[in-house]
Amino acid sequence: MATRTACQVFRRRFSSASAALRPSTAEIRSRRNAVFSREQQRQRALYPRIEKIEVSLRGPGLDGTLLIMNKGMSTPLSCARHLTEYHVNNSALALVDGELWPLHQPLTDSCTLTLLMFNDSDPTLLNEAYWRSCSALLGQVLETAFKDDYTVELLSTPEVPVTSGAFCCDVVLDPQLDSWTPSPESLRSLTRGAQQLIHQNLAWEPLEVAPSVALEVFSHSRCKQEEVEQKASDSPKGTVMLYRCGDHVLLSGGPLVARTGLCSQYEVTAMHSLGQGPWGHHRRTQGLSLPLQLQAHHTVWRRLRERAEKLVEAGAKQESTPPPSPDSAQ
Amino acid sequence: MRLTLQMLISHGRVARRIGLGPESRINMLRNILTGLVRHERIETTRVRADEVRFYAEKLIDYAKKGDTDEKAMKMASFWLTEKDLVPKLFKVLAPRFENHSTGYTRMARIPNRENLDRAQMAVLEYKGNPFPPLYPVKKENELTLINQLLKGYREERARARVLGAEA
Repeated sequence: MATRTACQVFRRRFSSASAALRPSTAEIRSRRNAVFSREQQRQRALYPRIEKIEVSLRGPGLDGTLLIMNKGMSTPLSCARHLTEYHVNNSALALVDGELWPLHQPLTDSCTLTLLMFNDSDPTLLNEAYWRSCSALLGQVLETAFKDDYTVELLSTPEVPVTSGAFCCDVVLDPQLDSWTPSPESLRSLTRGAQQLIHQNLAWEPLEVAPSVALEVFSHSRCKQEEVEQKASDSPKGTVMLYRCGDHVLLSGGPLVARTGLCSQYEVTAMHSLGQGPWGHHRRTQGLSLPLQLQAHHTVWRRLRERAEKLVEAGAKQESTPPPSPDSAQ
Repeated sequence: MRLTLQMLISHGRVARRIGLGPESRINMLRNILTGLVRHERIETTRVRADEVRFYAEKLIDYAKKGDTDEKAMKMASFWLTEKDLVPKLFKVLAPRFENHSTGYTRMARIPNRENLDRAQMAVLEYKGNPFPPLYPVKKENELTLINQLLKGYREERARARVLGAEA
């Protein structure tokens, strides 16, 4: 009995010591921010003299417009600012020579540019990018929501199609929180946090970095480092895309939308437990969001939200065979 | 005749007075109707278009009887001043409106004429004409984010209904 209490005391002492060794989340965040800013400065300094490139625009009413922009400094957003305020406010992503390009990434060569908006005739790619950005925003909210005593590990976000009804963010919380299930109040406070970020209208700044720099950025998180290595091996150029929103640096599988202010209706709908995984107790947080240009009536929103509370299975399970109509079943 | 006050007040009288008299009115409407059958979409004053509408639809009703019918052929040859439009009426317009019972024409008002008279104008057309539509059709884009979410929602509801019916 005495030995058991002695063991418990030692375990508590050792666990608090290990917690003190690990730097606080604020320190980790500022360190990641510093590395990101340093790399961004270095990439900007690669173009000391201003060289001009020709950007030809594509789109309804814009075909054939030629813009003379700066190499390595002008972004598709600056091209949009040469057009109208409508283009600046409504364009969320750009297509440069047929390739998806974040709106804040500098252009490097003469190219053709198409600005993508939510009310285009084919916004499929933009919808996927928007879903990814909403998951990234949810991840940022989750990282900052908990107290400093608890660690939050963001796992690689699964790519979910838009028709599944909700975007997800897989997260592993501190082992002390294994038995905690979120109440509607806590989900509502997470929603409030996300709404604050949306209100601040922060831009998602992209940065294409070598895997070594990305590993340095995520030096405190083993699962993020594995994700970096996996993404570096997947990508054709061997580089990894990092995004910074405010002071939070994150990793993403594809391009994100221009700014947080593009989302208008945003709600965190549910958090489901997926059971034990390699990193701990996996949880899937789900949410629903709609952009500023496609707002839903509150009745429609309520129904979509009820659907978003159900668990979304990620990974290519598609209901490709259409279900038989009820009339034929009878 | 006895000059009464009722002769000067026209409350409740539905018959319009166009042109110089009744015969002039019929001739004018005949010309407009011939133009309508030839071009299938014409632009006139609002009042004339409204008057011709009745006669245009009645003419189609007569044409539906077939060109062997004596009365129909007499009506067509009276109303169409250009005789090369009589076969067009029986062979093109009548079969087009086989499955319609009424409503062969459409009238849309347009801005007033630019002349000094500022007359109210209208466009009169036979339905099924080859021109672009008068009122442009607003197409809903199925691929926008909200429509994709709603599509997923509807599919899930259909799946749940099927499962509920089977169980």
